Amino acid sequence: MFSAAAHRLAAELPDGAYVANLCQDRLNFSIAFAAAVLRGQISLMTSDRSPERLRLLAERFPGTYVLTDEAEPGNPLRQHVMRAAFDLTGVQSPNPIIPVDRLAAVVFTSGSTGEPVGHRKLWGALVERSRDAARRFRVGLARPTAIVGMVPPQHMYGFETTVLLPLHSNATVWCGTAFFPSDVEAALAAMAAPRVLVTTPLQIRAVLQAGVELPALHRVISATAPLFADMAAEAEQRWQTEVCEIFGATEVGSIASRRTIEGDLWTTYPRVRVRPGELDEEVVVTGPFATPFPISDRVDAPDSAHFRLLGRRTDLLKLGGRRASLAGLNRILAEIDGVVDGLFVPPADPDTTPTARMAAFVVAPDRTPDDILAALRTRIDPVFLPRRVVKVDRLPRNDVGKLPEQALAALRAQLDRA
Amino acid sequence: MPLDTHALAERDVAQLLVEALHLEISPDEIDPTEKLFGDGLGLDSIDALEIALAISRTYGFELKSDDARNLEVFASLRSLTQHIATHRTK
Repeated sequence: MFSAAAHRLAAELPDGAYVANLCQDRLNFSIAFAAAVLRGQISLMTSDRSPERLRLLAERFPGTYVLTDEAEPGNPLRQHVMRAAFDLTGVQSPNPIIPVDRLAAVVFTSGSTGEPVGHRKLWGALVERSRDAARRFRVGLARPTAIVGMVPPQHMYGFETTVLLPLHSNATVWCGTAFFPSDVEAALAAMAAPRVLVTTPLQIRAVLQAGVELPALHRVISATAPLFADMAAEAEQRWQTEVCEIFGATEVGSIASRRTIEGDLWTTYPRVRVRPGELDEEVVVTGPFATPFPISDRVDAPDSAHFRLLGRRTDLLKLGGRRASLAGLNRILAEIDGVVDGLFVPPADPDTTPTARMAAFVVAPDRTPDDILAALRTRIDPVFLPRRVVKVDRLPRNDVGKLPEQALAALRAQLDRA
Repeated sequence: MPLDTHALAERDVAQLLVEALHLEISPDEIDPTEKLFGDGLGLDSIDALEIALAISRTYGFELKSDDARNLEVFASLRSLTQHIATHRTK
């Protein structure tokens, strides 16, 4: 039936080399993605659905249209709204053979200039990772498995685990909303065992703290941010399950996994290998159908199939599972009208304080903090919006225009005091 | 059924938001009709989880996505307060 719906939608899609899939509902998103593949259209996957982002995509990928399940009034591009129900009588739905080197999707991250960087996903790589995940976590192999995902389908992690994985395994995905702890309780109860919960550390914490009772869980999979062993242990104990993590990056997709309580050693997926990179403590990941890519953390790799993470490289920020370049954010801030100079200050302990937020200092004599915030709101991912924008007369830069450590520490102290 | 305890004031819920989210404003500064998410107060989905937790602890009931979306519970401090007042068990 899924296949029939995808074929039916594929026949209705407008022409266009590129399609921005903005479907809100997980099932619609999946059908839309499959339909685009059938039409040979390349799916642009962006979590940022602002008019500015869509215009930018259309500039870079001429002919882009929006495919969605709820009409978006602010959308500046051509739009196709998929219907809620399909008449599937008489639809032929042969299982297509898709070449491994077909470009199926482009997924975006923020680059150091603040502009989105697109990462090409070949069909072969997507299928390979799905099958690896299915085997590694024993999902949808011999028996059908139910998956409840608390992550959006546009983000690489949600895309792999809740859209692609069911296409290549015997898994069923919950397509209702599963965001609050009470939703998750209801969703899991509605699905038959064995059940897998696909989630993030923040959401595991929320579900644990809410104290909701979960039915028997085959496995919990977590990704997008480090999961601490004590929380994993509590989840394993409370929910009588195994808690595993996937390590990956939008650029390369999922590459490794571990069972969190077993320690800090990650095991790569089959045929994914790590080899030394150019910088100290750097490794480059290689895998079938994927471009070699350096992992952005500092890494120690005892062999080509295992590694440990040693800490982050300093320009890269991660908040709420989203990534940004600090240099990129600062550039965006400085380019706002009326901002003479500006600086984002990241939170001191983002991994241990889930609601930690950025702060920003600006030199902007004629603008108010609210003005700055409004300008930022249209330019950056909401999770990086500063909780406070502090106006100052000048930033304590040194002779070569840099902000020395002491000056940064003093700025931080100013935030704590105020 | 709403409890027959002190009436739930918008300020009580504003206080909960400020404390749960470590907002750097006072509860009185939250306009009861201003948007909570996106523009206005500028909260996001991570904040939504924290709010759900705080509501569960303080008022004894669980937020559900269907309620939150369908009834526009999160539209403003006013709508959130009304939702809590209707569903609280403590």
